Amino acid sequence: MILRGIGASEGIGVGQAVCIKEEIFDYSHVVYSGAEKEKLRLGKAVEQFLEKTAHLLGHRERMASQEETDILNGQSAMLQDPFLRSQMDEKMETGQCAEAAVDEICTMYVEMFEGAEEELIRQRATDVKDMRSRLLSLLLGRESVDLSRIPKGSILVVHDLTPSMTVGLSREQIYGIVTESGGRTSHAAILARALELPAVLGVEHACETVQDGDSMIIDGGKGDVLLKPASDTCLHYQKRQVRYQQERSRLEVYRNQPTVDGDGRPIHLFGNIAMPHEVDAVLKENGAGIGLFRSEFLFLSRNSIPDEQEQFLAYQQVSNKMGNRPVMIRTLDLGGDKQADCLHIGKEENPFLGFRAIRVCLKRPDMFCMQLRAILRAGAQQKNLQIVLPMITSVQEVREAKRLLEQCKKELLEKGVPIQEDIPVGAMIETPAAVWIADSLAAECDFFSIGTNDLIQYTVAADRGNTNVEHLYSCFHPAVLREIQRTIQVAKSANILVGMCGEAAADPRLTPLLLAWGLDGFSVNASSILPLRRQLSFWKKEQAQIVANDVMKLETTEEIEQYLQQVQVK
Amino acid sequence: MVSKVVKVVNPHGIHMRPAQIFVEAVRKYPCDIFFRYGNKRINAKSLMNLMAACIKCGSELTIICSGDQEEEAMAEAVALIQSGLGE
Repeated sequence: MILRGIGASEGIGVGQAVCIKEEIFDYSHVVYSGAEKEKLRLGKAVEQFLEKTAHLLGHRERMASQEETDILNGQSAMLQDPFLRSQMDEKMETGQCAEAAVDEICTMYVEMFEGAEEELIRQRATDVKDMRSRLLSLLLGRESVDLSRIPKGSILVVHDLTPSMTVGLSREQIYGIVTESGGRTSHAAILARALELPAVLGVEHACETVQDGDSMIIDGGKGDVLLKPASDTCLHYQKRQVRYQQERSRLEVYRNQPTVDGDGRPIHLFGNIAMPHEVDAVLKENGAGIGLFRSEFLFLSRNSIPDEQEQFLAYQQVSNKMGNRPVMIRTLDLGGDKQADCLHIGKEENPFLGFRAIRVCLKRPDMFCMQLRAILRAGAQQKNLQIVLPMITSVQEVREAKRLLEQCKKELLEKGVPIQEDIPVGAMIETPAAVWIADSLAAECDFFSIGTNDLIQYTVAADRGNTNVEHLYSCFHPAVLREIQRTIQVAKSANILVGMCGEAAADPRLTPLLLAWGLDGFSVNASSILPLRRQLSFWKKEQAQIVANDVMKLETTEEIEQYLQQVQVK
Repeated sequence: MVSKVVKVVNPHGIHMRPAQIFVEAVRKYPCDIFFRYGNKRINAKSLMNLMAACIKCGSELTIICSGDQEEEAMAEAVALIQSGLGE
């Protein structure tokens, strides 16, 4: 059986399931024994809580990250808040047992924190929940989960990983993590990546479906969980696991090397990010900058539009961390498959051909200008930001966006607000229309960024999510390749830089073509940076040119893919 | 009772760490310390209260100290907020 979730940390894990069910704290049987006795019970539980936490913190070498230390310290500090205790005392004085007092007061704070506008405070809700569970298990005399003693070769299956659970978790014992809740940015995901453990998150009903001791395989790249696999499947994955590890160690040598092609010509190799904290992963792989900051992710899964200040802080954080390396912020690319509740766009017959990206921004200049102002301000110190406009289909769109940008600059300068006045503006080339008017666009733009994901689907008119037509969706389609080639040529003759930020940029089979045509920058997910740096180093321009000439004579997607597969350097 | 208006300079507002620094520093004063923030009245000696108030960067709040050593408490509280609480 295969369960699917979100691949949150790459790698293959083969092992036995250890399931940790979400604890339900039922205290209906607890009889209220008077305010004084209840307070004494709570006092004892708090004491134990603090002792246990101090003990955990004493094993600093077992901590996966500074973040865990901070979280545990924070829990102790919260619990020592005299005001919090007095609120719990009040409950106990009015006839509630210690468990109910803890539950109600903690739940009240969880709700308050979850409703906060500031992301840093919303995150603390998880810590209060963890504190609540730990206190309740102490009061009810239950053993709390200790993962440091689980057997070697375990794959952990949990509802959610809490900070107090993960202290002491090690790669020696645990081969992988599966959770029911959480996404790529959750605590579990960050922890798994820090420990380099494969993890699949957001697997619905995992705790009910999986039994303790079940053999299982997880593929943290694809997000697959294979339950009770056949022995030949097991063998296959074990081989893949070994290969994966060999590959990782082979790639290690590229970590701190400059990115150059086979002739030693330097290439810009950037990282793609969706949230500010992902910058760390790009820096770890020594990325030359951020080639695509998908700013719309700040807008998703929330009810209100993030205000200028919140956006400013997010962009500034990225700008500061990157220092003198460039950061290309793609302005809001909402609509299509990314519907933000806070925009109230409503249902469309044909969302990919509808109200999305720059079209929304130009219709809602108030919102667009808020983002532009936030970007201008955020770049004031480092002066490393660049703006990329998504879904461009006409020159007027670029002109209008630039007019609004100038207006924002003027407004801020008049108020004496420090900004990055000299900010490059580029266009995403991701529609056939943009490819065919690239020469006109080049006159208005400082650079181009080719977005292959959309370019392919609009060129071959196929939705890759639709299984009936997904075979048509291919970056090897001759039309797509000609469009890419043309865009690069136009940029070269207009003397502007051209990069690529779609998934195709990371495909090693396309590397010789892109090098031959003279692409200046590649922007890929952090996990693809080292593999691509390695690929780039193999190709000399002359050889790449031969491949490109051959490929452009071929007529079908299949022939091209096959040819490139054969010449690919493994 | 003494009161004073100060501006919050912390880039992410008063979240966990700055709140912790503040609470630990003013704990030693016997007087009551409150913030008036918008229409909220916040017990500034309570970490949970401070965080739940979600005090934003650039906003103004009124510090109110009342009781023994209120002057000293006020001087330290103002200095703490203006210094950006370690950020």
